[in-house]
This record gives sequence, C-alpha cells and structure tokens, in this order.
Amino acid sequence: MRKIAIACLCLCWALGALAQGKTVTGKVTDAKDGSPLAGVSVTVPGGVGVKTEGDGSFSISVQANAKTLVFSFVGFETATLTIPANGVLNVSLTSSENKLDEVVVVGYGTAKKKEVTGSMASVKGSTLATKPVQTFDQALAGRAAGVQITIPNGVLNSPPVFRIRGTNSISLSSYPLIVVDGIPSYTGDYSQTASAGNALANINPNDIESIDIAKDAAATSIYGSRAANGVVFITTKKGRQGKAKVSYAGWVSVNKPFRNPEVLNANDYIAFKTSAVANNPTASAIQYLPSYDAQGKMIDTKWADQVYRDGISQSHNVNVSGGSDATTYYFSAGYTDQQGILRGNNFKRLNTLLNVDSRINKVVTIGGKLSFSNEKNIAANTSGSLNGSAFNTGGLGRLAIVLPSIIGPYNNDGTYNINGSAIGSSNIKGISSLSYYNPVPLLDLNNSSSENNHIQSNAYLQIKPVNGLTLKTSYGIDYLLVDNNIFWTPITGDGYSYNGYAWSGSDKYTTSLWTTTGQYDRTIANKHNLSLLVGNEQQRRTSQRYGIQRQNLSDAAYNVIQAGYTTNNPADLFLGENYLLSNFARLSYNYDNKYFIGGNYRRDEYSALGEKKGDFYGVSAAWDVSKENFWTKSGIQKTISSLKVRGSYGKVGNIAGIGDFSPYSTFGSGLYGGLATLAFSSVGNDKLKWETSLKTDVGLQIGFLNDKITAEVTYYNNDINGLILNVPQSPSTGLPSSPPANVGSMYNKGIEFTVNAAVINKRDFSWNTSFNITQNKNEVTALAPGLPYILQSTSGLESVNRTEVGKSLGYLWVVKTNGVDPETGKRVFVNSKGTNVYYQYYAPTGQFNYSTTPDGTTKYVSPTGATAISQAADAVMYANTVPKIYGGWDNNFRYKNFDLNLMFTYQTGFYVYYGTNAGLHDQRWWNNSTDVLTKAWKSKGDANMLYAKPVYSDNVSNGSSMPLNINVFKGDFFKFKNASLGYTLPSSLLTKMKLASFRIYITGQNFLIATKYPGPDPEVSSNGNTTIAQGVDRNTAANAKTFLIGLNVGF
Amino acid sequence: MKLYNKYLLALGVGAISLASCHRDLLSPVPKTSITDASAFSTPSRVSAQLLSLYGAMKAGNFYGGRYLIYGDIRGEDFINETGNLVTGSDVWALNPTNSATGVINLWSSAYYTINCVNVFLEGMANGGNAVVGDATAKKYIAEAKLVRAVSYFSMLQYYCRPYADGSGSKPGLPLRLTAIKGAGASDMARSTVAQVYDQVLKDLNEAEADLPASYTAASDNVTRAHKNTAIALKSRVYLTMQNYAKVIEEANKIVPASAPFKAATGVPNTLNASYTGIFSTYTTAESIFSMPMTSTTGDNPGTQNQLAYYFSPTSSLGGVGNGEFSLNQSGIIADATWLTTDARRSFVKKTTATNGTIKYWLTKYNVGSPYTDWAPVIRYAEVMLSLAEARARTTNSVDAQAVALLNAVRTRSDPSTVFTTSSFANATELVNAILKERRIEFMGEGIRNTDLLRLLQTIPAKGTAQSKSPSDVGYIWPISANELALNTLCTDN
Repeated sequence: MRKIAIACLCLCWALGALAQGKTVTGKVTDAKDGSPLAGVSVTVPGGVGVKTEGDGSFSISVQANAKTLVFSFVGFETATLTIPANGVLNVSLTSSENKLDEVVVVGYGTAKKKEVTGSMASVKGSTLATKPVQTFDQALAGRAAGVQITIPNGVLNSPPVFRIRGTNSISLSSYPLIVVDGIPSYTGDYSQTASAGNALANINPNDIESIDIAKDAAATSIYGSRAANGVVFITTKKGRQGKAKVSYAGWVSVNKPFRNPEVLNANDYIAFKTSAVANNPTASAIQYLPSYDAQGKMIDTKWADQVYRDGISQSHNVNVSGGSDATTYYFSAGYTDQQGILRGNNFKRLNTLLNVDSRINKVVTIGGKLSFSNEKNIAANTSGSLNGSAFNTGGLGRLAIVLPSIIGPYNNDGTYNINGSAIGSSNIKGISSLSYYNPVPLLDLNNSSSENNHIQSNAYLQIKPVNGLTLKTSYGIDYLLVDNNIFWTPITGDGYSYNGYAWSGSDKYTTSLWTTTGQYDRTIANKHNLSLLVGNEQQRRTSQRYGIQRQNLSDAAYNVIQAGYTTNNPADLFLGENYLLSNFARLSYNYDNKYFIGGNYRRDEYSALGEKKGDFYGVSAAWDVSKENFWTKSGIQKTISSLKVRGSYGKVGNIAGIGDFSPYSTFGSGLYGGLATLAFSSVGNDKLKWETSLKTDVGLQIGFLNDKITAEVTYYNNDINGLILNVPQSPSTGLPSSPPANVGSMYNKGIEFTVNAAVINKRDFSWNTSFNITQNKNEVTALAPGLPYILQSTSGLESVNRTEVGKSLGYLWVVKTNGVDPETGKRVFVNSKGTNVYYQYYAPTGQFNYSTTPDGTTKYVSPTGATAISQAADAVMYANTVPKIYGGWDNNFRYKNFDLNLMFTYQTGFYVYYGTNAGLHDQRWWNNSTDVLTKAWKSKGDANMLYAKPVYSDNVSNGSSMPLNINVFKGDFFKFKNASLGYTLPSSLLTKMKLASFRIYITGQNFLIATKYPGPDPEVSSNGNTTIAQGVDRNTAANAKTFLIGLNVGF
Repeated sequence: MKLYNKYLLALGVGAISLASCHRDLLSPVPKTSITDASAFSTPSRVSAQLLSLYGAMKAGNFYGGRYLIYGDIRGEDFINETGNLVTGSDVWALNPTNSATGVINLWSSAYYTINCVNVFLEGMANGGNAVVGDATAKKYIAEAKLVRAVSYFSMLQYYCRPYADGSGSKPGLPLRLTAIKGAGASDMARSTVAQVYDQVLKDLNEAEADLPASYTAASDNVTRAHKNTAIALKSRVYLTMQNYAKVIEEANKIVPASAPFKAATGVPNTLNASYTGIFSTYTTAESIFSMPMTSTTGDNPGTQNQLAYYFSPTSSLGGVGNGEFSLNQSGIIADATWLTTDARRSFVKKTTATNGTIKYWLTKYNVGSPYTDWAPVIRYAEVMLSLAEARARTTNSVDAQAVALLNAVRTRSDPSTVFTTSSFANATELVNAILKERRIEFMGEGIRNTDLLRLLQTIPAKGTAQSKSPSDVGYIWPISANELALNTLCTDN
C-alpha cells in the first residue's frame, strides 16, 4: 500500500514536471567497451532522478530551465553534463578503477577501499578477460606492485611462478592462498602427466569481476595459518538488476615459438663434428657421413620444425545477467580450444557458472553459486619443461636442439627412423645408439593427458535481524576430479623397454567448507564508525587416487589403458585427509574517516601438525591527513588532494604442503617375493607446527590534482621463522626419510611503489598510465643445525641451486672458469683456491686431463688430493636467481572509438643458469649452437673464444658434466607483454544494428623482449614453482608469442 | 513475536555451526600405514617387519640389481655401451665421483637396510619377542643379523680398501648397530676394515647358531636365511679376508670331502644338474640365497636397476633389455679353453646390427619388463670353488680335493674337459684355473670385483677404460658425498 502511494506521488510529480518542462533521452554506456550500463542514476542537480534501463537508455523529464544532468553509478566516475538543445544526451562513463572509493574484498566480507588499513592491490577482471591465457594468474604479471609472476615454460596451462613480496617458504608452498568467492581453492599443477594442469584453470577469466590481492598482516591475518604467502580474493561476476543482458566475448589467436636457439645444419654439423673427432685419437672409429632421402637429396632436418608448430586457439564466452529487485542472476558458459606451440599440446575447457542472490524479505537473503568446468590438458609426449622432467630423453624442448640435422625422422621406405628406444643413427658410424628418441613417432603414437572435472559451489543464508547486524552461514564445496592417462607406444621411446606402457590415475580431491560469521556495523554520533566480525570455520579436505600401471601391450593397435596388457599393477595409490578448525574476529574502527585502527585475530587448529593450535593476528592503523581541517584550510589540497599514512604488524602462518600425517613415524606395506612386508617408511615429528611470518608494513598513499595522479609507496618486512625443513640426516643413519622440523628462518623486505595517472583526459582522447615497481631483498638467516646448505637438483641430476645462510634462496652454485686458453684451446677452470687449471678431454701419453700448466704435463692435484675439478670441491656461490626489482607499466589510450593498451613487464637484478647452453656446446654427437662456428677455439692464437677446442666426446669443457659460470647470464628483461588495439562501434551505429555494444580488437602478446639473455626467454623455470630452484633454464620449451583477434558484443 | 523468531533463527544458525566442530578429525589416523606405536603389536606385523629386512636388501639399488651389476662391470669382462652416468658408465670406467649415482645410492640403500635391522632388533627387545614368543623371536633375530652382515660385507667391497691391504687396518665404515628413528644421529666416525669384518662375522656366527636348519616352504629355503646360508656367506667373507683356514672350516660344514658334493645337514644344497636351469627354476638346491621377484610393482628392482636391463641387448637385437653393457670381446669370452660346447656359453649371445657391428651379450637374465629374474646372492658352486681355492692355497699344492671340486663345477657344464691333478704344474696354476672358473661360472653375479680386490690385483683395462692398480685413485669408490656433507666425523677415501 505504501509503495503504491509513493509511486502515485512520483507519477504526479513527474506529470507536473512534464507540464512545465522538457524530456531528455539518451543512453549510458561504459567508456571502456561501449556496453550499456543499466541502473545508472540520472538526476537533475537537487532534483529527483531516474535509473537507466537494461539497454542503458533513459528518459527523464526536467524543468525547462534545467541545464545539466548528473550521471552516477557505483564503480564509475560521476559525470555532470550539459543538456543539449535537441534533448538527446548519450553518455559514456569512465570506470573509476583508480579511485579510492571502491569496494574491496577483505576476507569474510568487503570494505570500502578508503577504509582499508591493510596493504591491498586490486585488478579488474576485465583487464584479464581478453588475454590469450588458460588461467587468470598467467595474466597478472606486472599488474600490481609486490606481485611477481613468471611463466615457467611454453606448455599450456602451466601454473605460473606466483609470488607476493618474495618467496616466503623453502619446503612448503610459496604460492598465495587463492580464495574464490569465499572458498580457498586448489592451486598448483594437478596433472600427473606430461601435460600441465593448473587447478585454477576452472575459473574462466571472463567470469572474474575483480581480483583483490592482500599483502600485509592486516589484510591477510584473517586467514591465519595460511596467509604467509599473501591472499588473493577472486570474485566472480554477479547479476545486476534490470532486464536480461546478454553478451558475447570471443577471440582467435595464433601462437608461435619464440627465439628458439639456432643449431647447425647438415653441412656445418658434419664439418664441425668431424673436426672434433680429428682432435680425439680414441674416437677414430667415429664418422659423420651424410644420408640421402629417396630423391637423393642430402638430409638436413630442422628438428625444431618437427617439434614446434604455430598453434591456433579460440575462445568463446556467453553470459546472461539481470534480475529483479529481489533476485539477481549471472549465468555464463565458456568454451576454449587452445593449441600450444609444441605439437600435440592442447588445452580445452568447457565451463559454466551460475550466481544467484535472492532477497526473500528484509531480513533474510539466500544465494549461491554453482560452477562446473571440464578442462582437458593434452600432451602427446613429455616436453621436458615441467618440474622434474628437464633431463627426459624424450623431452621435446631438448630433442628439438640435440638431434643431429643429418638424420631424419623417417627412413627412405617411409618407416620411422628408430633403433630400439632411440632414434636410428643413420650414417653416423661408430656409435651404436644415439640413446635419444625420435620425437616424430612419439608425437604420433604416445599420449599423455589430464582431464579435470571441477565443481565449485556454495550456498548461503544471510539474516539481518536488526539494523547493523548481519549473520551469515555458508556451505561450500570444491570437488576436483582428475583423470590422468599416459600411453607410451612399444615401438620406441620410453615405452620400448616396457613393450608398451600405460598409466592411469583417477584422483579425487574434495573440500567442504562451512563458514558462519556475525558482523555488526554501527556508526555512533556520525563520527565513530565501528565494525566487528566474529566467525567460525571448518574446512575438511580429502584426497585419494586409484591408479593402475600396465605393461606389455597385447596388440600393437591398442593405445588406451583399458585395452589388453599382460602385466598389471596398482600404481601410486594414496589416501589423505585433513581438517582445519578456526575461530576468528575482526574489529575495525575509524573516527570520522580520519583515524583508523583495526585488528584481526584467528585461532587455527590443523590436523596435519604435531602442535595443532596456533594463534595469529594483525593490527593496523591509518591516518587520512587530507581530512584534517588544517589540511583543507591550508590550500595545499589543490595540489596534494589526498594523503594517507598507514602501518600494520602481525603474525601469520604457512601450512601449505605439509603432509597429512607428518606427526607420525610410519611403517608402510611392501612385498618380498609376493609376501607382505611392513617396512620403516617415514620419519615424523610430533612437535611439528606451522611456519610463522611476522609482517611489518608501512605505507603512504598520496593523490595530486584532485587525484588525477595517485601514488602509493610501501615498505614491508616479512620475517619468517620456524621454516619447515626436511632436515637431511647422514645417509648412514639409514632413515627412510628426512624428518621435518621447524628450523629455518629468512626474511623478505622491500619497497613497493605504484603511480597511476590520468595523463590526458579529453573528450576524444585519453591516456591513463599505471606504473609499479617492487624492490625485494631475500636472505636466508638460518637453516637447520648441522645443515650448512640445501642443494636442490634440477630433475634429480644437476644441482645448480644452493641455498645458504646469508644468501638469497636458490643461489647459483657453479664452477668458475677463466675462459679458453688462446694457445691450446683448453678450458681454464678456476679451482677452490683461485688457481687456473687447464683441462683437456683427451690427454696424450705423458699429459694429464687436468693440469696446472697449459701444456698439460703437470698433473693437477687439488688441496684435498683430488686430480680433477669437481663441483663439490671447486664450485662457488656465484649469482642470485631471485629478482631484486620487478614490476609493470600499463598504458591505456583512447582516441574517439579506438582504444589502445600497451603493457610492459620487467624484472632485473637476477641471473639465470642457461643449462641448455651446456648441451648446445656438448662435444658428443649432440648438435650444437651455430655460434660454435665462430666462438669455439680453432687454432693457436684464437683469443677470447667462449668455447673450448672441440674434442669429440668432451662433455666437461662447456658445462655438461658440471655447471659452469660460462652458462650463467643476467636475466634482466623488459618485455612488451601485451599490446591491444580495439575499436568500439559508436552508439548511433549500434542502435541501427540493434546491438548494445560492439568492440573488436587485436592483441599481440610477448612479441618483443629487450634482454641480453641469450636463451629464448629469461622468464623461465625448469623447476616450476620450486622455491629453492628458480633461475634454471634446462632444456625448456620457451614461451610463445601470440597474435590475437577478438570480439565483444552486447545484445 | 516476529523479532523473537528472527533471533531464534540467528541463534540456531550460530549454535549449529559451533556444535558441529568435529574435534576428532583433528587427529586422523593413517589408513594406509602403521604408526610406530603399534608396529610390533601382532605376530603378523612382526613377521611382516622381518620380511621387510629382506625387502630392503632386495632394493634395485642394492642386491636386487645394482650391487651385482657393479661387481661385474668394475671388472674386465664388460663394455659400456650407452655412456649413461645413471646406469653406471662411471662405475665401469672406474672413476665415479663422491656424488655419482652408484656411490650415493648404494651407500644409502645398504644403510637403510642396516637401520631397518637395528630398528627391528630394538623393536623385538621392546616387546616383539613377547608377541611372537622366544623361540620364534630367536630365529627372527638371527635372520635379521644375517641381513645386516650381508649389508656391511657388501659395502666393504666398494667403499673400503681390501682386507689384504694392511690386514684390515684401513678405514672401514661407520658401524651402526643401534636403532635410529629420528634426527640427531648423523655423526659417526668410520671403524677400521677389520672392525667391520669382525662385526660381519659376529652377526653371521650368531645367525648360524639360531637360524632354522630349513623351512617348510621350499621357496623359503632360497629366499630366507637358514643355517647353510650363514655358513656359505662365512666362506665368502673369510675368502675375502684371505683367511683360508676358516674358509675350509666353514665350507667343510656343508661340502663333503668327496663327490657327490651335497650338504649333509640342513637344506640339502648341492649343484643343480643343469647350469642354465638355475636361472629359470630359481628354487633349486644350488641357490642357497636369492632375491625373489614378482611382477607386482615394488616387488622387482624397478627402472634402470634390473640385471636383464643392463646385460641383455635390446629387442631389435633379440634381447629383452636395454643393452647397457656388452661382453668384452677380448675378455673371458675370448678364452679358448672355455669351449663353445660349454653350457655356460649358451648365455653368451652374439648379435649383428644392421650396420654390421658384432656384439656379444650376457643373457643369463632373460625375463623382460618388469624384469623378474631372481637375483642370486650366493650359490653352492661358489662355496665349492672357495673351498677349492682355500685348499689349494693352504696346502700350496695341486690338492686333489680342490681339483675334484673344480672338476665338479666344470664338468657340469663342459663334460669334455676333465681336470686331473696332473693338469696343473703347481698350486698357482690350480688357483688360476679356479679363479678363471669363477669368472666363467659367476659372470653377471657380482663377484668379479671382490675377486680382484681381495687379491690386490690390478683391475685390467677394457675398451676405453684404463686399468687401475691398487694404488690408483679409483681402485675403490669414494665415500658418498651426502655422507661427507652430513656426517662431520666421516672421512673420504
């Protein structure tokens, strides 16, 4: 009854106004993509207003003397515009993404950005939606201060190396906690096969509304024992009131290999290898002779062309959103089919998302989310690029460069050129097996894929019994079902010795989460703003796998696990469970939006620890100086429009990656000749607890010229104690595993600086720029007693990363060299005492391999009596792999209906071990980099040569047998990460076409890089997310460069 | 009333949430393993623990494969084909570093076995004895001690100077005899070679006393230790120490003075009529102790550890393996006195590659993936030849019993060659014939390295690998780099 009365009154007023005024009509659109904006309030200053319809249109009656209309909408800058004479006013509103009055997600709720006292960064989902990536995290590089993203390789859907304010653990995960719509998600690679399977790929970047990144203790401590690596809140899109709005977004792209090394062609290969053989009398039986194809043409294979391709990818997304006063909904469906640059590497995703919120009455609101995603991560064969696979003999990245150009993939009769598991050696005489595989049959016949079915959903009930009090309970589930399948042909390669091999693992990971919170918000006397949150949360996770491994294929035509094999085994079964029980509280208070204080407390109890209980907290304070009277009166506000200082301190923890049963020492089941055994299998620690991070953060936010330019500078210090290390005991203790203990400590400290500026903001032309830079210093301050260093190997073979107290994580530990002796062409090693040691692979009678004189006649004897240079005795802590400085620079230009985005990322102050380069200069039959023709020693007097005299079989001089400093390079880079040019159809055309919005764009990604790094890409990690083995490029397939054309249409 | 309902609803939500905490879930019990608190609580657990000691010894890095492989490829009869450091090309070339795969893994695998024994012995003393009863416990403990003895003896062969070099006065191994279940026990200095040998003999003597004479299950007589196993192993240990009188004393317990040579007590160990049969029927009376394999994962040596994988050529050459090591064409197979009609030659396979390259391979182990050939630890033939050698050396004559023993082994495979005492001019010739017989008889069974080192002989050159005299670096292995890094009292060789 009351509503009707009000409506009548309005109507009367409107009719009255009409009688003495005029009508203004028009349409409101989003300046970014031209999509219509519904629900924008259109008002006459001081008067009553209307809201725009679903298609953005409005019609408002104003008094005849009205001059302007005000358009305001949450998340957009308010516009005040003059009413034109014809009464038609089309408006495009600019998003207020750089403004401080935005809302951010803070964990169990939201807060106004200006009231947040913690250190947070926000990224709009729209900036990620159009990028040719598999997961959103791949597109975060350079977009927020303190956030470091490294794309480890060119395999689709590899989880990026994701660090917030440095690497904050050694043995546990350093990946941030990712909270998707309130539910902590699975992170990392869940594929057990040669394909990569980032668990976050279930989130379609198009469905992301915003990403809020919490960095300091104030912002993260509400997540207690899981907050040490920072917390990333993903909020998916929700419906908005209004008519159903349909939009489509799609793109097609082509990926190309990027800066691959050049290797010797057939003629150069024969000449160079023959010269190496001539330098080694013991290799006289070896001959490199050309082979000819059926047409009599000399075989000159570019193996990279057999391994790499131009990948074509596409993505299509449709979403519908809308709602009534009471109920809003967002529904989306997405499809993407992407081809990687490696043959056989594909990524396909089908996903749907439904978000519904319904206000039942003034008191009760219910809602929920249901998302389903099916992701197929497909690879034919190992790329040799994922963590642990760098030295695979079938690694595609490696085969592309190691195989000689004088042998081909096929014999002249059309059969595969194979010799047992290896490739056939054709006309290379004297070598019985090349031992590396022919990639072509492997790409044709093997398969290795991982399929994820991922369900994330939640339902909530919210009650507001009295004003200011909100009670909410929500139940969420996250089910990740992974089907892994590997098949290796019996014909050649890894499957050869098994006579055909298949492995399948069906994994089930479940999370159930029940969260109940009560929040009370109150403003007292208009000045005292108080907010109190208390909550309880229970998270239970289970994990399990059924696996089977089969060998000896029954029929050559079979290529699936379900077919016939004669040997069958259970494989890699596991069963795990953990439980996290938490109570938490948050209190925030501000006086007149001027003085802010806040505090968080959380008690976690975690099943996988020996000492289960932990208390975590964060306290913070802020002062908005620009709100002070003296400031506003002083006139300085015209220049410095806002100024806020803030600080926080707190204690948070890390438990990510602790084994479910770490407190226990266990005996596991095995077999002895078919009889059951029970063997000592794992050493536990019943005192084990979480790793703790003490985080300090001090920041200053400043705005100039009415906040046209805003800047933020933050100092942070993260002191990490109780780092869990599996403390190695001497092998003679015979322990089955290294017991875990809270023993290590380290710190990350640094400064972040961000500046955003609306450089130009004209009607037809605008330029917004955002630049951020982070300086981080990492240092390990303690390892375990009796543990002077931790060596981390690359794929179990080469240990180039060594973590030592006083240095940053994963320092490169290599043997120093002193060039190549110009007279003899010998590699000059530098031993532990700084003495030059001359090395020759072939030592004639009376000479030695290692000698203190260039002529080789003086036998080298090390201080400890050894007669050879070794990494153990002679390597030095050589260079850091942790970038000292990183960041990004983002530019958005708009000229009339054109928009242009130029995005750059950079990292400096770090080194990369280009291990691939050792292989590229190995003097076995391996193919070499073309630079051996000019940079390898040839004759007496060749000065400043990079590589030693080629001696057949020499795998020592250039770094294959032990890591040398000649293969360590500065990794500094400045990358043209992204360039996008878009065109939005003007609304006049749109109306004719009956479209709400239409934007077409082209994008180039990764297509230019400024670096002195000689490998394909310094942004690489052969060891994936491993905390203490970054900065290694060993046989990795490099990142792709991508060109894309895309379309966004609103209906 | 309405307001009351609201509060009730809100209160209800909060109460249910708090009440639903499952505190029991905070202490989950592993469902796929047994915690140490209850590992000795039932007879079947104790028995399964005992078998795990054999299981540890059977690991691919130890007696399941690599220990035997290294013993042969250090010698002169094999040629490395793949140049792969992971599969022992450095062991073959006699230049592995402290951090070589073989050096690191054999060390840790053997010590894991040793600690499992020590943990078992402690667990038995702390309750296991009572669970199974004293009679059974004594047998179990004897089996455990035998496994520990084999482990220490095996490590001595690679990491330490031969006993003959200074009568065991050179650095031996850290002698771990107590159970280690957690951190803090890393440091321990090396005992002398003699001290380790003393412990090996002490364990074997105690084992012999308490071991059963035989088992009811026939396969257990090969896969588990019985009295004759301890005796046979002692004959090997004493031979390695050049204590020939003790070799004779031990061997005499199970080898009669004259043919037929068959153990009179315990398991009736004797030569199998067919030489090749020993390697297809694994449970003949000749196999005193072998490591059993099945095709179930974890019950065979695992990738790149298998005997057949190393020695058998690839399937393109008609084999089942990876052709890691071929037979040295100027090695023992070139010996003309080893007749082509000798049954043992049937394990030497000649292949011709498409490019004409001719190779010879040992096909004694010929079961393909997952490679379930049983790995021999000790055979009756070895005890016979050890006895023969000891008699020839102690008598310093062409001892008739020694010749008879040699003949028994030779004529089984080669009936046409019959040695008599007149075949040998002196004891040295006889000893050399016995040593040659061992090369032929036990090829691929891992004892060549010990035979060279116990006599301080130079390891001959082969292929591109240089020879190593007893004074050369590389004659024995260096100590594991991991041990040196973490055990501050341990010294390198």
